[in-house]
Amino acid sequence: MNLERLPNEEKLSLCRKYYLGGFAFLPFLWLVNVVWFFQEAFLKPTYTEQLQIKTYVKRSALGLVLWVTVLTTWITIFQHFRAQWGAVGDYLSFTIPLGIP
Amino acid sequence: MNTSDSDDDFYNERTALVPSENPVVPSYKPDPDLTPTNSTPTTRVKPGASRRSGPACVDSGGSDQEVDADDEELTLKYGAKHVIMLFIPVTLCMVVVVATIKSVSFYTEKTDQQLIYTPFTENTPSVGLRLLNSVLNTIIMISVIVVMTIFLVVLYKYRCYKFIHGWLILSSLMLLFWFSFMYLGEVFKTYNLAVDYPTVGVIIWNFGAVGMICIHWKGPLQLQQAYLILISALMALVFIKYLPEWSAWVILGAISVYDLVAVLSPKGPLRMLVETAQERNEPIFPALIYSSAMVWTVGMASPVDAQRSEYETDEEAEQSAGRAEPESRRPRSGPDEELEEDRGVKLGLGDFIFYSVLVGKAAATGGDWETYIDSSFIIIWIGLCLTLLLLAIFKKALPALPISITFGLVFYFSTDFLVQPFMDNLAAHQFYI
Repeated sequence: MNLERLPNEEKLSLCRKYYLGGFAFLPFLWLVNVVWFFQEAFLKPTYTEQLQIKTYVKRSALGLVLWVTVLTTWITIFQHFRAQWGAVGDYLSFTIPLGIP
Repeated sequence: MNTSDSDDDFYNERTALVPSENPVVPSYKPDPDLTPTNSTPTTRVKPGASRRSGPACVDSGGSDQEVDADDEELTLKYGAKHVIMLFIPVTLCMVVVVATIKSVSFYTEKTDQQLIYTPFTENTPSVGLRLLNSVLNTIIMISVIVVMTIFLVVLYKYRCYKFIHGWLILSSLMLLFWFSFMYLGEVFKTYNLAVDYPTVGVIIWNFGAVGMICIHWKGPLQLQQAYLILISALMALVFIKYLPEWSAWVILGAISVYDLVAVLSPKGPLRMLVETAQERNEPIFPALIYSSAMVWTVGMASPVDAQRSEYETDEEAEQSAGRAEPESRRPRSGPDEELEEDRGVKLGLGDFIFYSVLVGKAAATGGDWETYIDSSFIIIWIGLCLTLLLLAIFKKALPALPISITFGLVFYFSTDFLVQPFMDNLAAHQFYI
């Protein structure tokens, strides 16, 4: 898929769909949105839909940062407190490391 | 892993398309079939110099001659360029497979679980029986693949596109979610990390959903290529794990023969697929094909076709022995505008998979694996280059498996029996060459 070849309306529509899709717990989609449309939104000469694309890209970036923060916090908490949580910790664990922590 | 049910469905889809197709488009000559009556320059393909081919649309006659003259010199350049374009993905796929095999022991542990497609066990005491069993396994596997391919060709002929799409989607779902879940679990176990379900859930969900979007809908080209590579690697790993030793080698050999037959013989299913697609002026299943450049058709093509032409999927491609195809779609936004060409080569994902299986199995044999890796890798490369060269000469869909796999097998076994003891002896006698 080459963005160059799409007409502007379709670019906008694609950007919007990626943005909306990211709300389904898909920060990766937001990341793809940001990276893919970054050039379109900020580095190209202005065209009509560019403003909206910019908004979507910015919001995707915001959502992404939020998700990253939440995930990092959760992972840190989990790794730190897993052993102390006992049964709950095990229940939450997908893989349990062997050996003594 | 439960081999019967989950693998079954999956396998059905996978083996279905044994060799999936690439549009057979002669790269250097304009294909009269594909030139639509409305004088739109969809099919003019010239290697390299796009300017020349520019508005060659309508006056096909004139440009033909001058194109032919330049064909010869461009042939080599064309072939070389495509070898390079394919170098990275195939190498990446092999690297991923080898890295996993070497680090995650799960994939080399022998279990007694086998896929239902290879019901005969190899745990027999006698060599003859083991050989017989592996041959039988191969026969079963190949016949499953043949049946699936024929089924697919029939579906395609009768335009049951919805069915095919549904099948592909189901199959890619399984690959993207279930297999990567397993893979991730094994990697975490190997590195002794504690990971919790919510995190894993988010990771797999993201990976899978974005994968589905990229592959079946629209997404950035590089990401799509990356997903296809990852999926091929996953499939190859599954094969390496669940196919018994000898069966795997025999299957590799048999499938390259099948590939040869299916693509080149006039009644071969793949050839029929190609011809049908040509008649209908459609890109042949961009699904299951790895394309190194972008396909973009616009304008006259119906929305469905345009969609499908940007549509690169994979799963079934597992079995799709690839065609190395010269890419020749022309994007057009209007007859007056400068016409560009997207040149690229298409290689079926099945090729990725089987190359990786070859290299992975070489890596999986214990001991001095570096020798095997190096030889397998280089051999496959030589094979691929030869295939591409042939492609440039013959300019039609070619099976990409036979040459590489044959060389690969020959060299693997000869390395095993000849080079290895040779090196050992040299080392034992402290004789360095």
